[in-house]
Amino acid sequence: MTALLLAVVGFGGGLFGALMGVGGGLVVTPVLTHFAGLRFSQAVAVSLTAIIVSSSASSASYVEKGLTDIRTGVVLELATVAGAVVASLLAAMIPQALLLGLFALVAWYTALASWRLRGRGGEGQTAGEYPVHHWGAGMAMSFAAGATSGLVGVGGGFLKVPAMSLVMGLPFKVATATSNFMIGVTAAASAYVYAARGELDLAATAPTVVGVYAGARLGSALLPRISSARLQGAFAAVLAVIGTRIALDAWSLLR
Amino acid sequence: MRRTVAIILLVGTATGVALCAVATVLYAVSSHHASKVAALGVFALFGTPPLRLAAVARGFLAEREPKLALAALVVLSVLLCIALRAALNFRL
Repeated sequence: MTALLLAVVGFGGGLFGALMGVGGGLVVTPVLTHFAGLRFSQAVAVSLTAIIVSSSASSASYVEKGLTDIRTGVVLELATVAGAVVASLLAAMIPQALLLGLFALVAWYTALASWRLRGRGGEGQTAGEYPVHHWGAGMAMSFAAGATSGLVGVGGGFLKVPAMSLVMGLPFKVATATSNFMIGVTAAASAYVYAARGELDLAATAPTVVGVYAGARLGSALLPRISSARLQGAFAAVLAVIGTRIALDAWSLLR
Repeated sequence: MRRTVAIILLVGTATGVALCAVATVLYAVSSHHASKVAALGVFALFGTPPLRLAAVARGFLAEREPKLALAALVVLSVLLCIALRAALNFRL
């Protein structure tokens, strides 16, 4: 019964992740802690593994269809990895509640901007057919995404998608596909560390990743058929929820 | 390059997920092999991101884009360092 629940949750996370360019940890982690009886750190470890699956399964399709901007993704990965490394080195020195509070503000602001600008990026579905600008700001946001990943064990897609779509000028679907391509690497770095600490519960991971794979394959088939405006509206709503969740985490650290 | 990267992503993930599916069934029948099969599946999944980075670096080298190839190699090196450090005290 638990295995079935985990597979269903994984399916939702994979579907959501493939469509939104985020890892789906927002869906998977709370269910694992509340319904599968895992500790938070164990749930994060399973969620990170799920992000790797969601990223790889959806990217396999997006890369072949030419939707993933590999060039932009590789350059931004540098900033993301640098952010993750710096954050892991400075984690003990930075008040985590302050950082989480800042990330919550960024998430809410980006949600508002995504909502107001939805539909303006066009329906472009081919990587490279647009000018890429504001590399500095995009790199800074990717650095922040990596830092968030290093600090709280997420893929950071909620910052990468707006960095590429709102700041750098990539069409929303290309940004989503490229974020999916990138978050697998970010999540892998954190997942290795969690696994090494013995936090990865294999009995919970196995059914979850099976569900994630199915959800991500379905999501990658659906993405080209859904309008960018609709996806951006949904993404804005998701960001608002992520922002609220991070703010609550910050609040719980302060108490 | 796109085709190679897509194949690596698909094969790596499908292998890992297939092993995890088998492990799920083995857990259901309380087989003592379940955790070993699941660990193999997770190993395949964990190995996919570095492999696709290597394929991207090789692809950019073939396309005479040394800066992009270097970027991919730097990310790959950092990821391998983290993996190596983790592997030294792996406790599944």
